[in-house]
Amino acid sequence: MKDCTEYIQNLCSYVDGEADDSICKEIEKHLKDCPECRVMVDTLKKTVVLCKEGEKKHLPAELRAKLKSALEKKWKERFGNEADEETPPDGEK
Amino acid sequence: MLAGSQLRVDIRFAKRVLIAYNHPMNEKELVIHARGGDRDAFNELISNYIDKIYRLGFKVSGNEEDAQDILQETFLKAIDKIESFRSEASFGTWLYSIAMNVMRGCFAQRKKMALKPIEDYAPDHSDTGSSGLFKWNDPHEMFENSQIQGIIDDFIAEMPEENSTPFILRYIEEMPVKEIAGVMGLSVSAVKSRILRARLALREHISSKMEEKMP
Repeated sequence: MKDCTEYIQNLCSYVDGEADDSICKEIEKHLKDCPECRVMVDTLKKTVVLCKEGEKKHLPAELRAKLKSALEKKWKERFGNEADEETPPDGEK
Repeated sequence: MLAGSQLRVDIRFAKRVLIAYNHPMNEKELVIHARGGDRDAFNELISNYIDKIYRLGFKVSGNEEDAQDILQETFLKAIDKIESFRSEASFGTWLYSIAMNVMRGCFAQRKKMALKPIEDYAPDHSDTGSSGLFKWNDPHEMFENSQIQGIIDDFIAEMPEENSTPFILRYIEEMPVKEIAGVMGLSVSAVKSRILRARLALREHISSKMEEKMP
């Protein structure tokens, strides 16, 4: 029987359902005989599930306002004030 | 050839026509407008990425101040370089690749923990015939959800950025591996390997925290 280290490189792809059929079959055969790797597969799955359970952080409103002001300043430096003026192209008022 | 100011006027005119006919601009059109100096177009382009890049910066650094700096620096550089963006990649991929460079600069001087080689995380049967991998029960029975997230966040922030970044992009932002490879300028196999290393290290860490909690 192959050593567990020979399977570990493909475990992520296997757990995520992205491994080739031949690799899946090989790993599944190994899993039948190796309780340690069964624990490994189970806990690798749970690791990602736990990560996904975390609340998705959003930029707080006060930081959003600060960012907006920094970007406005940079935009004016880069493109000048006229870039944002709403002057019609034909000069009409 | 149109002078810069004339080009900007024409772009503004085109935008007014599109708005008048209620035609939402696609990414390519937004980029053309932004390159011509249309700030609204640029703001629309970045709007989908503000929270994503902020989250990435926060997870990788572990603190709000760095996350804010990474976010701001990324967008400032994007303004500087907008004219060099050629739509060969998506705008998002281009923006993330700027964020990667900003983060590399930010973390270059910081010492992070070294992760073990992938093989070293494999069960080791050499001594006792069993490595005794700790079998998890429901982690929520042992920890509050906020505690679990604290354990995960603290550990990710300690990881080398080269491992934590692809892990976060893959599993928190659900970005395909191929796109992560494009963003990071790496091969798909290199990205897979970095993600696996991060995942194995985090698995081991959570496991040890659960074992510590056992009576």
